[in-house]
Amino acid sequence: MGGRRYSASPVMVALAGTLAVMITTAHSFAAEPDECATPPELVETETQLPHLAARLNAHQPATIVAIGGASTIGQAAGSPDLSFPHQLEQILAQIYPKGSIAVVNKGVPRQSARQNLERFATDVFAEDPVMVIWETGINDAVRGTDVDEFAETLQTGVDELKNRAIDTVMVDMQFSKSATALINFEAYLKALHRVGDLAEVYVLPRYAMMRYWSEQKVFNFDEVAPADRAKLAARVYDCIAYKLAQVIRRAVP
Amino acid sequence: MRTPTDPSPPGLSRDLRLDFFRGVALICIFIDHIPENYLNYFTLSAIGFSDAAEVFIFISGFTASLVYGRAMAARGVLFATVQVMRRAWQLYVAHIFLFVIFIAEVSYTVRTFNNPMYNEEMGVGDFLEHPHIAVIQALILQFQPTFLDILPLYIVLLLIFPLVLVAVRRDRWLALVPSFLIYLAVQIFGIDVPAYPTGSLWTFNPLAWQFLFVLGAVLGQTDARQRGPAALLRLAYVPAIVIAIAALTIRLSWLFHGFHENFPALFLRALWPVNKSNLAPIRLISFFALFVLVAHWIAPRATFLRSAWTRPVVLCGSHSLEIFCLSILLSVLGHFLMSEIASGFSMQLAVNVVGIAAMCLTAAMLDWYREVQRTPLTPAMPAGSQRGDGEG
Repeated sequence: MGGRRYSASPVMVALAGTLAVMITTAHSFAAEPDECATPPELVETETQLPHLAARLNAHQPATIVAIGGASTIGQAAGSPDLSFPHQLEQILAQIYPKGSIAVVNKGVPRQSARQNLERFATDVFAEDPVMVIWETGINDAVRGTDVDEFAETLQTGVDELKNRAIDTVMVDMQFSKSATALINFEAYLKALHRVGDLAEVYVLPRYAMMRYWSEQKVFNFDEVAPADRAKLAARVYDCIAYKLAQVIRRAVP
Repeated sequence: MRTPTDPSPPGLSRDLRLDFFRGVALICIFIDHIPENYLNYFTLSAIGFSDAAEVFIFISGFTASLVYGRAMAARGVLFATVQVMRRAWQLYVAHIFLFVIFIAEVSYTVRTFNNPMYNEEMGVGDFLEHPHIAVIQALILQFQPTFLDILPLYIVLLLIFPLVLVAVRRDRWLALVPSFLIYLAVQIFGIDVPAYPTGSLWTFNPLAWQFLFVLGAVLGQTDARQRGPAALLRLAYVPAIVIAIAALTIRLSWLFHGFHENFPALFLRALWPVNKSNLAPIRLISFFALFVLVAHWIAPRATFLRSAWTRPVVLCGSHSLEIFCLSILLSVLGHFLMSEIASGFSMQLAVNVVGIAAMCLTAAMLDWYREVQRTPLTPAMPAGSQRGDGEG
């Protein structure tokens, strides 16, 4: 396996980059591309992001840290510029033209939730963020980390963020039909969402969204020609960025 | 409970509760191993904090104590030890068999795997990256991917079992006290057992779960009709009812909360997550509440345990090793069908019904074979000479 085999060529990256920029600029005022559409219940949320709201209302610059794994750093798209945190930064700049929101990308591939947590001091708190997006769970499910331990790790992390007056949104796993045949994601998904439920932290149901796109044949994740891999990834990251932007927009109108 | 010195032949006086509940546990293990299976809501984990794993390990300790205790009394420590080791070897071979199924599944899926979103992440399934090391780690029980976790525990427990049995037969406290102290140390200091790949742990921490196995072994050597144990059982009755009802209520509230957010999840923040790896005390207490209730309400050979309806379950329980391996194979197949073809209600129903039926039919066939094998062809042949270690 290993991702090296599929790493995109520089030309591909440049092409995909141009395309993504074109998509982003074409959809000004943060309307999501049609292909990102999901049933309304998947993003229906009354999430509060009080610290981000206060910062934006006071017209002060805000930092959001995105911590997570390969899909945070944008590995499959071939460049961090195509990752969802970077896209999110651009969308937020359109939504809040007067605000100054930086989205810092702290994705490191192949990390478990525990390894994410261990990076909090250096990668998260050092950036002095007002909000954190924590994308996690895939590596724990693939490795088969003990589910209870996984839940405890998440709870520790979420509590620590809360204690430091940082707003939190979590992002659950990516969906793939063939990965689902091999790995039992259900237990980890349940644990992640329950942690969010207990801590009143919104969990973006990326798994359910990607499953919806897969079932509706909007995106086909399992039969992709090698040349289209990076492009597909960039489109999905883009959709995730729009979904997160919607969550933020509802919380900070 | 049956006494080890019970004069009646084992076939006639066999405590059917052991087979029945082990059968129930095996069916629950099958169901629980299929993700997104609606029947999950009706397994043992739905009615309390413990689940099928406790039932399986406890009954295994209990029956091992009955069978090998009898052998130890009749033919000495050495004979019983060799018999236990033979059983451990059977389990080890079964473990390797399941590992081969795992390799087949992973290899097939990975060869057809073509998902750019996941390639990076799938690499951490270490079997794929270092198969030569993973195989060796599986051989020494250190590599425990999904569903390859309970047999290693069982094997390790059997390896120490002769020692436990000698201690139990001398004085039950000789086994109980050290066992409890180790369990206590795990709970207080969080001692765990490392596994492969580096950073992962034994799914079932043997230092914690040995306590349940030893408790089973001690109770297997205890005559419930004696004054002490009988009084203890009576005394535990009311607390057991209270605990069982409380556990059921709390679990149900969590379940309903999952369906509907406004339904309050009682004590969720305080109690969840319950540590299964280290057999958290709440799981142990919840399990023993159920145990006390079963001991009270159901006689060893209660009518319903001998009815045609429960017979398939009893048979599954009395051939537990074979049925366990089969159930793992079936749940892997079922999961594969559900994720590759369809995961709708009818597919779920088919997978569950066919799976459970296959388990019961196989158990019936094994039982029939054993009975025929035991029946002497000529009167001259000594009855029972074909009996294996009979632990089932």
